[in-house]
Amino acid sequence: MTAPQSPLQTESTMTTEIGPNKTQIAQMEKAQSLWQIVYTQFKDHKAAVIGAYTILFFVIVALSAPLIEMALGLDADSQNVFNRYKPPMSRIQASSDTKESAIQKFININPSDAAEIQKQILDKNLINPIRPEDTLYDWAQMDKLKAIGIVDQIETPKKSDLKKMIKSFETFHILGTDELGRDVLMRLIYGTRVSMGVGILVAVFSALIGLIIGSVAGFYGGIIDTLLMRITDALLSLPLMPVLIVVAAIDLQKIPVMQALISTGNESILKLVFIFCLFSWMTVARLVRGSILSLREREFVLAARTLGARDRTIIFRHMFPNVIAPLLVSVTLGVGESILFEAALSFLGLGIQPPTPSWGNMLFNAQELIYQAPYLAILPGLLIFAVTISFNYLGDGLQDAIDPKAIRR
Amino acid sequence: MTTFILRRLLQTLVVIVILSYVCFGLMTLMPGDPVEMMISANPKISTEDIVRLREFYGLDQPVYKRYLTWVSDITSGDLGYSRTYRIPVTEMMGPSLRATFILSVTSLVFSLLVAIPLGIACALKPNSKLDYTINLFNFAGISLPSFWLGIVLIIIFAVKLGWLPAGGYQTTGMSYPSWWNEVLDKGKYLILPVVSLSIQSIGRFSRFVRSSMLESLRNDFIRTARAKGMSARVVIWRHAFRNALIPLVTIIAISFSSIFSGALITETLFAYPGVGRLIYSSIMGNDFNVAMISFVISVSMVLIMNLVADILYGVVDPRISYK
Repeated sequence: MTAPQSPLQTESTMTTEIGPNKTQIAQMEKAQSLWQIVYTQFKDHKAAVIGAYTILFFVIVALSAPLIEMALGLDADSQNVFNRYKPPMSRIQASSDTKESAIQKFININPSDAAEIQKQILDKNLINPIRPEDTLYDWAQMDKLKAIGIVDQIETPKKSDLKKMIKSFETFHILGTDELGRDVLMRLIYGTRVSMGVGILVAVFSALIGLIIGSVAGFYGGIIDTLLMRITDALLSLPLMPVLIVVAAIDLQKIPVMQALISTGNESILKLVFIFCLFSWMTVARLVRGSILSLREREFVLAARTLGARDRTIIFRHMFPNVIAPLLVSVTLGVGESILFEAALSFLGLGIQPPTPSWGNMLFNAQELIYQAPYLAILPGLLIFAVTISFNYLGDGLQDAIDPKAIRR
Repeated sequence: MTTFILRRLLQTLVVIVILSYVCFGLMTLMPGDPVEMMISANPKISTEDIVRLREFYGLDQPVYKRYLTWVSDITSGDLGYSRTYRIPVTEMMGPSLRATFILSVTSLVFSLLVAIPLGIACALKPNSKLDYTINLFNFAGISLPSFWLGIVLIIIFAVKLGWLPAGGYQTTGMSYPSWWNEVLDKGKYLILPVVSLSIQSIGRFSRFVRSSMLESLRNDFIRTARAKGMSARVVIWRHAFRNALIPLVTIIAISFSSIFSGALITETLFAYPGVGRLIYSSIMGNDFNVAMISFVISVSMVLIMNLVADILYGVVDPRISYK
């Protein structure tokens, strides 16, 4: 590419006038690679750098979701209908049913220990149950601090288990609970995985499809080009949302080939990625076709052809490296767009199917939540907004950094 | 010019036919055809009945044959009945098309009215504080999920403040003494949907106006006009803006399809009785005839808008010739 050379030349002529020392000259003469230039340019775009860090943060959160779940001691899927719509920062007691079944399980697993504990408690007269068999059940219903105090007074090897159990009965929800009593924070964190995963997968795969179609159309030209570009234009002019809704409403079980492919639990995610890829490769295809068309006339392609390179080699080895930079920009911008579309479709109930959480389907019944718990309708949207704007700024920054016309000195 | 329009019309027609066929095929893949619903409604139904019903509704035919009968029905003016509402589809389409048209056009006009001044202000002072602030708002607008913005607007203006209605088309049971009252009443219901629908296009348009305005301000004839001593207003509007308008026309046409897409969600959210909501509710409710017609009509509308844009392109820029 010609772009990286121009700033170097001007810089070196400039510096000879001022008279730099030898190390500086050595530094200047060391050719910067394209990516180094892009990086230095990119650093100047503050909003894009902030965006990049925000994305990094969300990626880390998404990857460490199970760790966060363990650290907080909360389960993203556990429901508690008695504690729906709790406001943020609330402590919640588990229902007595949950407590009883936990005690039952404990007794079934360690019958001898349980009998011993029961005997000790009764001997020391710490709890006075109506029936002696109820001792442990009564203990479970007690206040957390009191219950722990009782455990401290008795001698048993299962002390830590009991304490752990009583602690698990009381949960703390930083962002409150949703309409089924699930922890909102955990669902948001797992939703990050789904939403960003779908966004990135769609952007990458549709870029690949667009790359292939665009380069074939641009390289071969003629009737192939006309045909492919007609299809691209037709798809591009469609109103995306109605089309996506029609396609998303299909029952994939009715297509025999798909039946075998999609039998796993992640059906709705895979289906969504597939559908989005089908309808989002067009912009990339046009972009790539444009670049390939101009690259086709360049000398290095002619040189490669003269040396007897095959079409495949010319496309993959000589043309693709020149297309990658603009492609990267469009992938980045594509991620934000895909996240928005996923959210919209899930919001309508046609995207990711519950119980799998995604930011979009957490808003699915947001309309009913407006009166009961408005913050539930606001939080997921804020995250969608934050991630999308970060990707858009990142894309903008990359575009400025890559575009040779925008190079500032 | 005429041959160009004719050729484009023909192309558009072909695209519509192909799409409606694909859509027809897709609809058959959706869960629940009429017979399946009858089976689930009536457990005593016998196998012979099912076969007879399938034959009666023509469901035993291959897709292309059913499509042909559907097309011949359509061309003879029979759009079929809505399964949910039990009224002819023709009666449903008119009002909802008008509602969607009002919503889309209002939103388009509103976003242009906001975006063009913003974009020009940015272009006149590039890299200034004002430019950065507006740019931030543009990015925010592009990145906002419109349906979520709608929810937030409802929470603020309908639930908390109670200034505007949360959804609907007009006050129920209201009789209008004059057309002005009607406009006022319906306008009140339009404000929130239009705002939530326009935010994204405002961001996109304004960024676009900025860059194309910057481009056109760089031209030599702008310097000439300034050197001649023309007032800033004339230079900006008569010389620069008119040239910036050319690429703007395409982007407006392209965004008509995205506004239309967005209208689907906005209409569903605000319970606004437009085509978008009709598509959504008919697909969710297995209302085959309504879904097909509303889908085909909305796609055709967008395609025709694209065609209009292509023609307008030539009107705005006389340098473009049609082959």
